[in-house]
Amino acid sequence: MSNKINRRDFLKFIGAGTVGAGAGFLAADVSKMSTEFLLPQVNLPEDYSPGIATWYNTVCTQCQAGCGISVRTREGRAKKIEGNPAHPVNQGRVCALGQAGLNVLYNPDRIKTPLLRDGERGSGSFTSIGWDEALTTISAVLGTLKIQEKADNAYLLSGGVNGHLHDLLALFMSQIGSKNYLQYEFSHPANLYAANKICFDEDALPYYDMRNSKYLLSFGADYLGTWLSPVHYSVSYGHMRQGTDHRGKCVQVEPRMSLSGANADEWVEARPGSEGLLALAMAHAIVENGLYSGADAGDWKAALNAYSPASVAEKCGIEAERIERIATEFASVGPSLAIAGGSACASSNGTANAVAVNALNYLGGNIGEPGGILFNSSGAFWDSARPVQTTYTDMLAMLDSLRAGQAEALIMHDTNPAFTLPPAAQFAEAINAVPYVVGMSSFMNETMAMADIILPIDTYLEAWGDSVPDPGVGFAVASIAQPTVKRLYDTRSAGDIILALAHQIGGELPTTMPWTSMEMYIKDMWREIYENKEGDKSEDGFEDFWRSALEAGVWGERPSPVARTSKSMGRSMLAALDVPEPAFAGNESEYPFSLQPYLTMTFQDGKAANLPWMQELPDPLTSVVYNSWVELNPKTAGELGVKEGDVLVVESVAGRIEAPAFIYQAIRPDVVAMPIGQGHTNYGRYASDRGANPMSILAAETDNSSGALAWSATRVRISKTGRRVHVIKTDGTTRDLGRNILGQSNTGHA
Amino acid sequence: MSISVLDALEHFKKPTLVILVGLAGFVAGIWINSTYYNDTSPVQPVEFSHKIHAGDNEIPCQYCHVYAARTPSAGVPSVEKCMGCHVSVATDTPEIIKVAQYYADQQPIPWIKVYDVPDFVHFTHKRHIKADLECQQCHGPVETMDRITRQQPLRMPWCVECHTREEVENGRDCWTCHK
Repeated sequence: MSNKINRRDFLKFIGAGTVGAGAGFLAADVSKMSTEFLLPQVNLPEDYSPGIATWYNTVCTQCQAGCGISVRTREGRAKKIEGNPAHPVNQGRVCALGQAGLNVLYNPDRIKTPLLRDGERGSGSFTSIGWDEALTTISAVLGTLKIQEKADNAYLLSGGVNGHLHDLLALFMSQIGSKNYLQYEFSHPANLYAANKICFDEDALPYYDMRNSKYLLSFGADYLGTWLSPVHYSVSYGHMRQGTDHRGKCVQVEPRMSLSGANADEWVEARPGSEGLLALAMAHAIVENGLYSGADAGDWKAALNAYSPASVAEKCGIEAERIERIATEFASVGPSLAIAGGSACASSNGTANAVAVNALNYLGGNIGEPGGILFNSSGAFWDSARPVQTTYTDMLAMLDSLRAGQAEALIMHDTNPAFTLPPAAQFAEAINAVPYVVGMSSFMNETMAMADIILPIDTYLEAWGDSVPDPGVGFAVASIAQPTVKRLYDTRSAGDIILALAHQIGGELPTTMPWTSMEMYIKDMWREIYENKEGDKSEDGFEDFWRSALEAGVWGERPSPVARTSKSMGRSMLAALDVPEPAFAGNESEYPFSLQPYLTMTFQDGKAANLPWMQELPDPLTSVVYNSWVELNPKTAGELGVKEGDVLVVESVAGRIEAPAFIYQAIRPDVVAMPIGQGHTNYGRYASDRGANPMSILAAETDNSSGALAWSATRVRISKTGRRVHVIKTDGTTRDLGRNILGQSNTGHA
Repeated sequence: MSISVLDALEHFKKPTLVILVGLAGFVAGIWINSTYYNDTSPVQPVEFSHKIHAGDNEIPCQYCHVYAARTPSAGVPSVEKCMGCHVSVATDTPEIIKVAQYYADQQPIPWIKVYDVPDFVHFTHKRHIKADLECQQCHGPVETMDRITRQQPLRMPWCVECHTREEVENGRDCWTCHK
């Protein structure tokens, strides 16, 4: 019967066929592509081709170096940041932080509209308001102060700003009648500026020609990580080491090995604060061994008499023979270069240390020579656009006057002193004494949370501006910052806000500040470069010049080298040669360790902690990621019974923080180090409540000549909490474990 | 009562036959859907006629589809471009009034895509125009259509057939289209 189909079977076939067809129809329907729309532009933008990238050249402001960047945009969205190959500072390279600029632009924690405080001050409770309301309120407050001739009660505190924005802020404040404008940046190398002022009588940094040097002696300067212009010096370093037939030698003097120290041929673990003394001992050796033959050799001999290597060896913690040997190498290999930074510059004798390092350059014959210290050209344009940042002591003076009730209004622009100032500055108390506080920032942070009204500013990828790199590159260079994308939110650039306020305040301000936009202002400022250069000076000519500068992102001119008389230089150095003993907060018996907080290439002074790519980037030396840690020498850790991951209390005279221990071989046993940048309490979802802020336990030691904060002059004691955490890191072990990683015979040591 | 079936099917068990009939129905269902229920000519928000523009008035394709020769996508004209002519041409017809309204509201016209390939296909107009293909070779006689009707399945066999026939360099390399 199996070959016969009965009525039942027939119905089964009909049923199966129908169900199958239905299922097939539905399956085809589900797998169909959904309706896609072709949405045209309403108005066609310039430079727009779908699917084709447009590159805009602008300036990076992630640190103070001022690298030129090219931003790849597609369909009006920024996609990738690369170095601008035409820019002499970074020569086409860009660091990880520069690349993470996209995280600034697209950060979900950006402030998107003007905000008005609607709760207790500092409670962080704000409501959105419109720009008209915000600007009218602020200009009414400032305008009233101006009319009552009390404008000196208006204060402006800014973070480090590049280029002519500084000039515009200064002009605005002077026009409303206030002299209370200052820029403060934690990482500003104030002592280096002060030392150069003493030695070279110049308010700018000279150009350190590392590229052509053959012997680099760095006193604490982490030139591959955070010192002045890390990308530029990384390129220079590469050339110095591998660009010529003769590989240059690098010696790094620092108590805790930085990335530059790890790349150097020799690490000299001098006591923190003794770097100047060490430099003078080297100078002594150079002069005594007849390696300096200048006419003033006798004066130097007399001045350096007290600094023989043997007499300072104990204080520096370095053997006399080693000092002599390095000094001899430094003076006999030419050209050589000595630089100062890091802990050498951040001690209470930081300026003196930097002067002593300059003296080494003088005795080594490196000043004004290729491969040594070169001088940048100056001029009105460059001088008005250079960063002018004040020191910690000036900042304290301002905070004192705020506390004394002298301020009626305070504008804070792109700054976060509540995070970067030590507790002794009592920043919060000072702010709370001001009746009206305006914040200008792209992000909510610890400082902005204390404001009464917050104006959201454009990120650097959306705004006009310009920049003159300092240190320069040995010749005149300026860069234009232009918007690479249309602004994402209802924000405005700081320059546009200042100009809008000026026009609303009225009086003579619209005449003295006639620009209606930052773009117009920058363009007007650049007219000066055009007018001082050779050739055609017509209006058309300027437009051509402006367009080509905008396209290139940078304009530079190589003028004749700046000549300096080294004789007067020698005299000013001789007069300032004394290196005082470094002072430390906390006595040695109670606080046995010197705390060395260090800037990281990932977070700078903490400003970049809200960038997720930076949070994900392991520290180059410890490989630790996402957190803070305390670095201890294995010997110290052994004595304290500390293992990696033990949560430690780090306690100074100014406060205490907790962070897990990390055992680090390349640190002096009497020093503990901590990275700067984590420990935010109110800085968006990526940075808040993560790690600890070493700046919050810094004592208020300052450099006794420049007034800069001596942030490596705090002593601490360490104790265990008894808790342990897993330190998140990408490295397994620093030991070889018989794997012969270095390709050498295994001696059994790590 | 019973019906005798083909001898060839005799050795199948009946449940197997039921499944086979179901499968045949499934395939038929897919075919019916994709043949008769596939909208190759969707109704657009504005009744734009390629016949009037490209046919009667002989406006070159790339006058409006400006990116075709230099980018992956041909592009549709900006609303501003439509208004470039229609600020004075046929301003009183209902369809142009719609376009003018979109422009006044500064809103894009939500055209429905007729020619669409999945996101895993890297198709570029630029290459095909460089190879001297006429637009009509893929898009059909657009200048005769009031409403655009898709002329090709845009499936891989169709692509590869042409790439093979024309001996396109690397035309059969996976990475040419799937990057």
